[in-house]
Amino acid sequence: MDDHRTGWPNSSSGHQYLRTCYLKCACILFSLNLLTVLPLLANDGRDAQSIDGITIEVEEPMPKAVESTFNARKVIVDHVLDSYDWHLFDIGETAFSLHLPVILFYEGRLFVFSSRRFDHGYASFKGFGLASDGPKKGRAIRVLDDGKTPDPEASAVYDFSITKTVLAVFISSALLCLIFISIARRYRKDEVFIIPKGLPAFFEPIILFVRDHVAILAIGQEKHKRFMPYLLTVFFFIFLNNLMGLVPVFPGGANVTGNISVTFVLAMFTFFATHYYANRTYWRHMFNMPGVPFFLKFPIPILPLIEVVGALIKPFVLMIRLFANITAGHMVILSLTTLIFVLGMVSIYLGFAISPITLVFLVFLNFLKILVSFLQAYIFTLFSAFFFGMAVPDAHD
Amino acid sequence: MELLMPGLGLVFWMTIAFGIVLYVLKKYAWGTILEVLYERERQLARSLSNARRIEQEMAGLEELKMVKVADVEKQCEELKARARLEAEQIIEQARETAREEAKIIAGKTDELVAAYKRAALREIKGQLSSLSLDMAEKIMQEEFSDRERNARYVGKLLDKVDHN
Repeated sequence: MDDHRTGWPNSSSGHQYLRTCYLKCACILFSLNLLTVLPLLANDGRDAQSIDGITIEVEEPMPKAVESTFNARKVIVDHVLDSYDWHLFDIGETAFSLHLPVILFYEGRLFVFSSRRFDHGYASFKGFGLASDGPKKGRAIRVLDDGKTPDPEASAVYDFSITKTVLAVFISSALLCLIFISIARRYRKDEVFIIPKGLPAFFEPIILFVRDHVAILAIGQEKHKRFMPYLLTVFFFIFLNNLMGLVPVFPGGANVTGNISVTFVLAMFTFFATHYYANRTYWRHMFNMPGVPFFLKFPIPILPLIEVVGALIKPFVLMIRLFANITAGHMVILSLTTLIFVLGMVSIYLGFAISPITLVFLVFLNFLKILVSFLQAYIFTLFSAFFFGMAVPDAHD
Repeated sequence: MELLMPGLGLVFWMTIAFGIVLYVLKKYAWGTILEVLYERERQLARSLSNARRIEQEMAGLEELKMVKVADVEKQCEELKARARLEAEQIIEQARETAREEAKIIAGKTDELVAAYKRAALREIKGQLSSLSLDMAEKIMQEEFSDRERNARYVGKLLDKVDHN
């Protein structure tokens, strides 16, 4: 009898081990991220005097008035931010970009045109231009007749453009559907003991991981099934987009999960799912916590207030965590890459000298980012699952 | 700061895209995959418990088999011994019977032989007497046919009587 049991992995101890492993990894990675990103963020207030100061003057006059300053901060932020066109590659001086459609609602009218019209922010079209600064930097705004100055009297521009990030979301969504529908087709309900090969062999362990070490761990054996589709979708969505963000060429390279809008939507899905599935016990604990003195609830509802704030903070934290981790990773990689050019401005030899070192760091960081891709998807899913687990407690009192 | 501002369009498209992905995968992928995984686990658990039960049953059967085999062997031995004994008895009996029958047959033969002997003797005696009578008759006839000689003989006989 015992021989049979020892053949199976001892789930509880393995589980514990995995958990501590992940926790350690998370701690190390988080501190690493902080260490590397802090100097970059500290630069924000002082408007990058140190980096902006390093400029290069092009000696012969170019035919077009091209900004010849190498601004590392601008490069990094522009790469991390969303944009209306998708830069593919350069051949010589010519940049090849995918010009994506701009869709704007302004004063009840719909404007649809190609982002080619903006000419990377140098031109305006039908009174729309790209903001060069401010909180709407890089986004379409109303401009005055000179094509540059923001129109201070314009009403809000509602921007529904298919931007780089939107296109990347569409591509990864299609890929996700393609992968998992083709996997599902290989599974047959009447023959469950077929050894998985190919795609199922790769994804099945991850699916089982999400089920055993996320859903069952956080929600419990009885109630986890209802949340499995959402948890799996959110896990693979984040994981795939994280990985695609690491690939530098099209269709990768878009900073999807490092975009606050994307993580905001994911967090909102978790938030609404939590409260959609929340049971009576959850609501009772939120608004009428049992077992506490009534003066904490009435006339000033201190405890319910705290509970509501807590419920709102949870998705907020989810949103910030994923966004900050992925963006920080991209920034570190971009910082290391631009370091070559920044030092190259000082002396071309310095630039060459630093590049092998940077390369080693970049390779290391990319491996780290693969780990982080998995880790952040896991953490987002795990926390979502914990919130679901909290929303469906057993009514024990 | 621009990093931390969610954009309306992106939120809109992302909600639609993620919603569609969630719906499509839930309907066409996760349902099948999870069902197969759960079914596999159920079958695995069932097969394992079945195997364990069958193993126990097999162990019981093995024991039973050993007992039965031993029993059968014992019975076999007994049967063999009894059969041997019976065979010997039968042989012995047959021998006895044969001997007795032989004795009876021998007795009967003796009687028969004696009867035949008696009959033969009686016949021989009868034939002998009739033969001797016939011969005597013939002799007598022969004797009486020659008168002179008879007379001579009688005379001789008489002579003898005289001598006496």
